[in-house]
Amino acid sequence: MTTLGARVRAIPTWQLTLSIALVALGFLVAAQARGEGPRVRYTTQERTPLVEAVVALQAQQEQLKAQVLDLRSRIAAADQAAAGSDQEVRALNDALLAARVGAGVVALEGTGIVLQFDDSQVPVPPDASAAEYRVGAGDLRSVVEELWLAGAEAISVNGERIVPTTAIIDIGDTVLVNSAYLAPPYQVAAIGPSDLYDVLAASPGFVDLVRARADRFGIRISVAQPASVTVPAYAGSVTLRYARLPAASPSPAP
Amino acid sequence: MSQPRSQVALAAVALLLGLLVVLQLRAQQAGTGLERQSAQDLTLLVANLTTRNDQLRGDVADLQRQLDAIAADRSRGATSVEQLRTDLERVRIWAGIDAAEGPGIRVTLYGGLPAAAVSDVLNELRNAGAEAMAIEGVRVTASTTVGGPVGGLSVENTALGPRIEILAIGNAPALTGALTRVGGIAAQLQATYEDVRVEVTPLDAVEVPATDAALVPVHGAPRP
Repeated sequence: MTTLGARVRAIPTWQLTLSIALVALGFLVAAQARGEGPRVRYTTQERTPLVEAVVALQAQQEQLKAQVLDLRSRIAAADQAAAGSDQEVRALNDALLAARVGAGVVALEGTGIVLQFDDSQVPVPPDASAAEYRVGAGDLRSVVEELWLAGAEAISVNGERIVPTTAIIDIGDTVLVNSAYLAPPYQVAAIGPSDLYDVLAASPGFVDLVRARADRFGIRISVAQPASVTVPAYAGSVTLRYARLPAASPSPAP
Repeated sequence: MSQPRSQVALAAVALLLGLLVVLQLRAQQAGTGLERQSAQDLTLLVANLTTRNDQLRGDVADLQRQLDAIAADRSRGATSVEQLRTDLERVRIWAGIDAAEGPGIRVTLYGGLPAAAVSDVLNELRNAGAEAMAIEGVRVTASTTVGGPVGGLSVENTALGPRIEILAIGNAPALTGALTRVGGIAAQLQATYEDVRVEVTPLDAVEVPATDAALVPVHGAPRP
């Protein structure tokens, strides 16, 4: 023992550090090499064509949404420019902006909170359902509802604004919000009063949600209270194919 | 080995180590997500994304036409009052600021349901393309939430009894089909709750009121 101890002490520190680093390196090289082989086969088989299609369609959707937002802001600018002298046009423009804010097609900035939901890192027991350990559409719907009840005025999930037509659904392991495919972690941004988080944290519904999901399955829930929160505009259709003003009662719109 | 050389060796190893850690983490992240989806779910995803993208393409074309019309009006020196009025009407109905009518369905829920189950029905109707909805005479906007314990549900200060009526404007066959399909929400609710019954009636004309909510943000301001 004493000889070994003396020998270890005799080895310069840099040699020790180097050998520890080399051992770690060896592990990583092995892990990388082992991970590489099967994955290449796996991905080339599985990624085509369905995963590729999803990825391509999602990229297209991002582009289209950017185009929609760009065109909307150009139309708004053109409308404003036309307003100029005409009082009627100016009144219509103001009413239109108010309606668009109410509809959620305008980005808002203000006080609020950002909640983050991420999948559990707890190993799934063999007899359990893996879905319980992932953040699902039901979790996001619950937190959105609790936020509304706590006084939120505008909410988005990973940049998808919650509007009157928003559905939050599961397709397999993924969550669709406004038909956009979202991946964890899910960031739920909400604009509301400065005590929004206190009200939320005190609500039985939110307490139940945390207990049922975080405490039981290890779903990771965290909260941030930045100085200002931005909730982006809804970038989808504001089209009506079936709904119109009721014939009997004309619009009280200006 | 002299001291500087050992430092160079250490630095090189540390660099390699860092690179490998990043590579390994990246490789592990790439393995999650879409790759683990079943072919069936991926097909559903593709269908969903395709429908939405087609809608968005329609929107882009509409907006482009609108922008061209404004430009044409301006070059003639005219203002686009008519177009602004049409726009305003559409956005107000869509947001719930004005009442709406159109074809659609009536969904009647009988029995004691938890709030989340009623929300599920609304979510399902939105997913099926409902354009405007009301629950027991309360217009459904983005923030309309069903709350309360079983037997004591309420929505925006309106109490919900053991018989809840939801009206939805949209494509009646599509809305009906989404609720009543095999394994759909109606079947799920009736299987989960013994005393619950779901009735869906297509109607030629449905009318939903305007919301009572202000829809004017106090804590947020529009961002240019």
